[in-house]
Amino acid sequence: MSTPRYSRVFWVALPVGAAIIGFGAVGLLQNSSLTAAADVARWLVGADIAHDFVLAPIAALIGAAVARLLPRWCQAPVQAGLIASGVLLIVVFPALRGYGRDTVPDNLTVDPLDYTTSTLTALAVVWAVATAWLVTRMIRRRGARAAGYF
Amino acid sequence: MAESTTPSVFTSTLRDERTAALLGVALGVSFTVCFVTGVLSHLIQDPPSWFLWPSRPAGLYRVTQGVHVATGLAAIPLLLAKLWVVYPKLFAWPPFTSVAHLVERLAIIPLVGGAVFELFTGLADTHLWYPWPFNFRTAHYWVAWITIGALVVHIGAKWTITRAALFSARSSTETPPPTARTSAFDRRTFLATVFATAGAVTVFTVGQTVAPLRKLALLAPRRPDVGPQGFPVNRTAAGAGVVNTARSPDYRLTVDGNVRRRLTLTREELRTLPQNEATLPISCVEGWSTTQRWRGVRVRDLLERVGAASDAEVRVHSLQPRRSYRTSDLNRWQAHDPDTLLALEVNGQTLDIDHGFPLRLIGPNRPGVQQTKWVTRLDVR
Repeated sequence: MSTPRYSRVFWVALPVGAAIIGFGAVGLLQNSSLTAAADVARWLVGADIAHDFVLAPIAALIGAAVARLLPRWCQAPVQAGLIASGVLLIVVFPALRGYGRDTVPDNLTVDPLDYTTSTLTALAVVWAVATAWLVTRMIRRRGARAAGYF
Repeated sequence: MAESTTPSVFTSTLRDERTAALLGVALGVSFTVCFVTGVLSHLIQDPPSWFLWPSRPAGLYRVTQGVHVATGLAAIPLLLAKLWVVYPKLFAWPPFTSVAHLVERLAIIPLVGGAVFELFTGLADTHLWYPWPFNFRTAHYWVAWITIGALVVHIGAKWTITRAALFSARSSTETPPPTARTSAFDRRTFLATVFATAGAVTVFTVGQTVAPLRKLALLAPRRPDVGPQGFPVNRTAAGAGVVNTARSPDYRLTVDGNVRRRLTLTREELRTLPQNEATLPISCVEGWSTTQRWRGVRVRDLLERVGAASDAEVRVHSLQPRRSYRTSDLNRWQAHDPDTLLALEVNGQTLDIDHGFPLRLIGPNRPGVQQTKWVTRLDVR
C-alpha cells in the first residue's frame, strides 16, 4: 500500500492519548467513591447509546420524512429550519421544563423568563429566516422557468 | 488490506470526508478551548501549591469562564452535525480490519460518550439542574481529561485522512458517484446551516454575560439584570440557612489567626472604618456575569490594622452552617489588592440579604463561588 492507513502520528498519539485517558480515569476514582465513579461510567456509555440509538434515529426519521413529503426545491430551507429549531430546543429544554426552578425554588433569578414565550420568539426568528430563503428560491425558480430553463 | 463498508441505506452525499474533516477541526478547536478554560477554572478554585492566580486583570476570569460556557453551548450543533455525518460508520462491516482499526474504534466510545456527557452535564449545570447521582464538578472535570485523551487518539488516527480531505486538490473538486442520490443539501449549505445554528445559540444565550446583549438572551438560564437590586443570585440566604444569623444583632466580624491583635467588629463599627469603592464583576462558574459598584472596607486595611504579615493569605468564612463553598481563600496577591473589599453596599444601597448582607467579599478576577457572602471571619495565615 502506498499510503499506510495509520501514519506515525497515530502511534505517537495513541500512548499520549491513552495516558491522558488513564489520568482522567484514575483522577475520577481517587476523587469520588467507587459507586459514584461507576455511575459516571454508566452515564458516559449511556450518553453514547442515547445519541446513537435514540437521538440520531429520530433525526434520521424526520429527515427522511422531509425528503419524501416535500418537493425537492424547498427541502433545504425546511431542513435547515428543523436543525436550528432542534438545537435551540435542546439548549433551552431544562428551562422550558422548569428543572432549574425545581432544584432551587427559593431562587427566582434562576431561569427567570417565561420560556414558552421566549422559545417561541427564538423559533419565530429561525423560521422567518427559513421562510425568506424559501421565498427567494421560489422566485428564482419561477424566473428560471419563465426564462425557459425547465 | 480489507476495507470495511457501510450499509447502503445511507445515501446522503453529505457524509463525505471533507465535511467530517471540517466539522472535526471546528470541534477540535472548541473542545480545546473548553478544556483549557475549564482546567484553568479548576486550578483557580482548587489551587495546588505551584499555582498562584493573580488579582489582575480584574475581568480575566469573567472572560475565560464566559468563553468556556459560550463555546460549550456553540459546540452542541457542531457535535451533533459531526456525529450525523459519520453515523453510517457505526454500522461498518466488518467492525474492524486490523488491530489499529480496533483500537481506533474503541477510543470512539470515550470520545463520543465523553463529548455528549460534557456538553449535557455542562448545559444542565448552567440551569442548576442535577439529574445524576454524582458530584457535577468532579465528574465534569475528570471526564474532560478522558474526553481529551480520546480526542488525541482520534486526531492521531485521522491525521492522514483529514489532511488529505482538507488540502488535496482532488477532494475539493470531488463529484459524487453517479449512483448516489444527491441531497437537497449540498455540503456548503449544510455547513452554513450548522455554523449559523451555532451562531444562533450564541446570540440567544451570550447576553447572560455580555450585558448589552441581555435582551437577546431568550434561551439563557440567567439575565444579568434580573434579581434583587438588579442582578442575579446563585445561593439565596434561605437556601444557605443564614436568614436569622445574618440579621442577628449579635453579628460580628472577627479577624484572627496569624495576627498581632485579634479584631472583632460590629456592623456599625465596620461602617465607621474608611470605605472604598470598586466596580467589579461577579463572574459565576455557570457562565453568567454582571458588573456592579461595590462599597466597603478594604481587606488590606483590616490586615494592616491587625498587624498581619505583608504576604499574608486569608481564609474567609461565611455564616453558612454547612455545604460546600462556606469558605474561600485569598492568596497573597488577592488579599493585598486595593480592590479586594468586604462590601457593605452595592450601587449605593445596603446589600440585600441574598447578596450577602451584612458583609460580602468581592475581589477582582475571582470566580463567583469565591466571592463569599455573609462573611463572619477572616482567618489570617
